Amino acid sequence: MTLDELEPGQECYVVKVNIGGVIGQRLLDMGFIPKTRIKVIRNAPLVDPVDLLIKGYHLSMRHSEAKGVEVTLL
Amino acid sequence: MSKKSNEILVAVAGQPNSGKSTIFNCLTGARQFVANYPGITVEKKTGIYYYKGDKVVLVDLPGTYSLTSYSLEERVARDFLLHENPALILDIVDASNLERNLYLTFQLLEMDIPLVIALNMKDVAQRRGLQIDTDKLSRQLGTAVVPTIANKGKGKEELRQAIWETYKNRNSNYIPFCINYGKTLEPILTSLKKQLSENQNLSKSYSTRWLAVKLLGNDSEAQKLV
Repeated sequence: MTLDELEPGQECYVVKVNIGGVIGQRLLDMGFIPKTRIKVIRNAPLVDPVDLLIKGYHLSMRHSEAKGVEVTLL
Repeated sequence: MSKKSNEILVAVAGQPNSGKSTIFNCLTGARQFVANYPGITVEKKTGIYYYKGDKVVLVDLPGTYSLTSYSLEERVARDFLLHENPALILDIVDASNLERNLYLTFQLLEMDIPLVIALNMKDVAQRRGLQIDTDKLSRQLGTAVVPTIANKGKGKEELRQAIWETYKNRNSNYIPFCINYGKTLEPILTSLKKQLSENQNLSKSYSTRWLAVKLLGNDSEAQKLV
């Protein structure tokens, strides 16, 4: 499954980053590497963006970007 | 010694929001001025201070998460480190976000330029219950690590001292930290490094190991260098 499918409160591990280019590189730089634990905190009122907790910090991203992150539920 | 040899060029690098500019202002005080470099839309600030008779020139680089060549900020920061020959890098690390920040630190270490780490926002980290063993961090990375709380001016003198000492000792005790990329990649890196070392122009200007790592990562700017 992909990161955009998770509901607030759910946790997962990163399996793979499926997007390349600038966004893919940025995700890798920010810690989206396999086996990294992520918790979905909440969605914005109009769904986008989504607030995540990764490696001890909060990160907001679009669902379209989260779709590029393959994860497995905790 | 000529006058020029006492001018210490220090690049201030770090991830966004790690407090680079706060530390920059804290160290340089009122003497700070802003400079625009032509051809680049991202601003680099330059400031000076004097310490024990030496002039220290600080250049505040744009904040970057890493040093690839994907974004303009990263290219500006990287080109400065590659081509302007700073004597050392002052790496500002957000202590409350250590793991992510150290990623850039390792990339900076790989460039083979002496490094001083300012472990900033120590108070924020402490409030979150994080205790960081700075001595151990310093031993493992082979660099000076100075805890700071820049917005309160704490650690300023210690940082100035560490920059000065690292500069004075730059030729004697600096052992570059080396990341081991494992059994698959290391042999390739070694052979690539050997080939690059044969080109004297390249090996004089750049760390060949750094170039080898970047070439292996298919980095477009590194490809232009060779």
